[in-house]
Amino acid sequence: MKRTLSPEEEHAFLRATLDYMQHGVAMYDADHKLVTWNERFVDYLQMPEEFLGTDRTFSDYIRYLGARGEFGEDADIEKELEKRLKVLATSHSFERVRPDGMVMEVRRDPVPGGGFIAIYTDITERKKQELALRKAMEDAESANKVKSSFLANMSHELRTPLNAIIGYSELLAEDAQDRGDKAALGDLEKISAAGKHLLGLINEILDLSKIEAGKMEIYLERVDLQKAIADVKTIVDPMIAKNGNRLVIECPADIGSVRTDITKIKQCLINLLSNAAKFTKQGTILLRLSRDKDDHGVDRVRFDVGDSGIGMTPEQLGRLFQAFTQADSSTTRNFGGTGLGLTITRHFVTMLGGTIDVVSEPGKGTTFSIVLPDREGGEAAPTVADDLGLAPEGVASAITVLIVDDDPAVHDVLSATLGREGYVLLHARDGAEALAIMRKTPPDIVTLDVQMPKVDGWSVLGIMKSEPALENIPVIMLTIVDDRNLGFSLGASEFMTKPIDRNRLTALLRKLAPAKADAVILIVDDDPDVREVVAATVKAAGLTPAQAANGREALGWLASNKAPALILLDLMMPEVDGFEFLEKAREIESLNEVPIVVLTAKDLTETERSILAERTLLVLSKSGQPIGTLGTALSALARRHHDAAHRHDGK
Amino acid sequence: MKVLLVEDNEMNRDMLSRRLARNGYEVVMAVDGQQAVTMAASENPDIILMDMSLPVIDGWEATRRVKADPATQKIPVIALTAHAMAEDESKARNAGCDDFDTKPVDIQRLIGKMKALLDGAP
Repeated sequence: MKRTLSPEEEHAFLRATLDYMQHGVAMYDADHKLVTWNERFVDYLQMPEEFLGTDRTFSDYIRYLGARGEFGEDADIEKELEKRLKVLATSHSFERVRPDGMVMEVRRDPVPGGGFIAIYTDITERKKQELALRKAMEDAESANKVKSSFLANMSHELRTPLNAIIGYSELLAEDAQDRGDKAALGDLEKISAAGKHLLGLINEILDLSKIEAGKMEIYLERVDLQKAIADVKTIVDPMIAKNGNRLVIECPADIGSVRTDITKIKQCLINLLSNAAKFTKQGTILLRLSRDKDDHGVDRVRFDVGDSGIGMTPEQLGRLFQAFTQADSSTTRNFGGTGLGLTITRHFVTMLGGTIDVVSEPGKGTTFSIVLPDREGGEAAPTVADDLGLAPEGVASAITVLIVDDDPAVHDVLSATLGREGYVLLHARDGAEALAIMRKTPPDIVTLDVQMPKVDGWSVLGIMKSEPALENIPVIMLTIVDDRNLGFSLGASEFMTKPIDRNRLTALLRKLAPAKADAVILIVDDDPDVREVVAATVKAAGLTPAQAANGREALGWLASNKAPALILLDLMMPEVDGFEFLEKAREIESLNEVPIVVLTAKDLTETERSILAERTLLVLSKSGQPIGTLGTALSALARRHHDAAHRHDGK
Repeated sequence: MKVLLVEDNEMNRDMLSRRLARNGYEVVMAVDGQQAVTMAASENPDIILMDMSLPVIDGWEATRRVKADPATQKIPVIALTAHAMAEDESKARNAGCDDFDTKPVDIQRLIGKMKALLDGAP
């Protein structure tokens, strides 16, 4: 049975709860007068006893903190107070750092019937752990970078002595042959063969690390297939002969040429053929070239490499393209190799916009098929406009936006917003399709999702930047950056990921903000550490930082200050978050010319990503901010859109 | 048949020159790109084997200069590069190289390429 508490008991219960809880608590009435508080409040806020009393108001408290210098030396205390009074009617929270380094989370919630309650939580430990975690992540990232550049530098150092070993052993072998010294000849040939094998392994490991570091470059050109195949044959002939195999090449005389990277496709074919030679004895290895068209009518070139070797089980096929994995661990013992060849081949084929498939049966043999699209960069295809069902004059004036995303919801959202504004939209569900469309009908602008199956956004961006016909098409990355280094090296600058890369930020500031000391950069982030780092960087760039702990503070700051030169915006913040801020900022006219750079955390949800995609794009497209190529493109886009709208009005 | 071998690495130079000599070629050597351009004119070789990463001026620039000079532009140039420089084949051809081979050199393959280029010469 539950008994009703007497008012005294009720009071004692509440008092005890307040006094024993792990938070500092203070309660204010409807007139903002201090009603009650607990010991931890006194302790956390380091309040002298004489200050505390029920005649004190919230304003007294803030003025007291201000006088103590908590808002900075030159802070306008009345302004600080006004800012805080403004938000008291709604629940809000922020972080405060005490001069001794203790970090507190301050939460204020309105109480029914008037007044509000302030709760202070010591989050110093949590912050420390977050910081340690972030540092560990940064260390890991930089260690990975160091590893990649070490490997790249080592490549030359490793190769030079190996070249000498191979070269001199061959020289001696030739001498031995001239002398008829068969014993020495056999040994010397073994040295040179082992050296070549080692060199091959080193090359594969370096290729893979280059691919993983995003440093592998693609160089597209018209490649004469007959000639490329002849080159490949010269290289693989000795490997084929080794196991008593025969190479059959079926290459139509009119196979022609394909626009691709000659070195990469040659390496892919050499990898497949040397694998086939390795796993086949006294058999036939077939290299067949053919042409066909895909579902969209795009020309394709197909390379089949078949063997009559040992074949693979479905289970072995499943692991085939994984790095450092061969079909069977005993394979390495019997046949050698790093197991990297196929992984590298698959990466190369993907980078070239193609696909690789395999069919195999144990005991019967294996056939690998590479299919490469054959397109001419920059070639316009007038039929696409017809496909879209557009009137010709609409096509002439409209701006074409290619939306690349595997998530249909994003297509829907963007279609709804952009389609209404008169843009012509092209849709691609994956990277390969995107590249196919781009090469046929170069769009004015591309929105690109990062995480997609098969060819991801960075690969698409990388390929675009390597093709003259595509490299100048502005790209909006519509999602969260997985690998900021890769992202930045590929030229995406409109998002920055946290932890903040200071050099990058400085470069961004130089690009976006005028080099005047009175240019103010508004930093909106709830994390005081991030604000501090960013503010220091801004100062070092000769600019003036202003800070806001959330969207509401930022809006408050904007209401009472001149428009800043640039806004750096976090997304996940208490009270008014970055999304809401973007929404509200659109309505402020003085902000139309102010670039907003979004600082993103890494773990956004799917929904948040699409919201971000939609809103950032809209904010940017409506105000035409000069953020790199994006800004240029968007202001051009806005201008053209404006002209187009006027033409329509004139009709 | 006179070959101008351009290679800055002493061991590579030694190995390749000896193997070419054994196969009946007369070999003259340059150790950097500048020297290669000078010797292309003064030695009048039948063919040039050019390493690409060279001191003073690199192999691409040296090839461009050889191909820009009417006195030397007819001399075939074969670029020799390490595997790491995978994109170099296209770069080498764009610089004016007539053919391309990777290091370590397979001597029979290289001689095959040299013969193909020299047969085409007047």
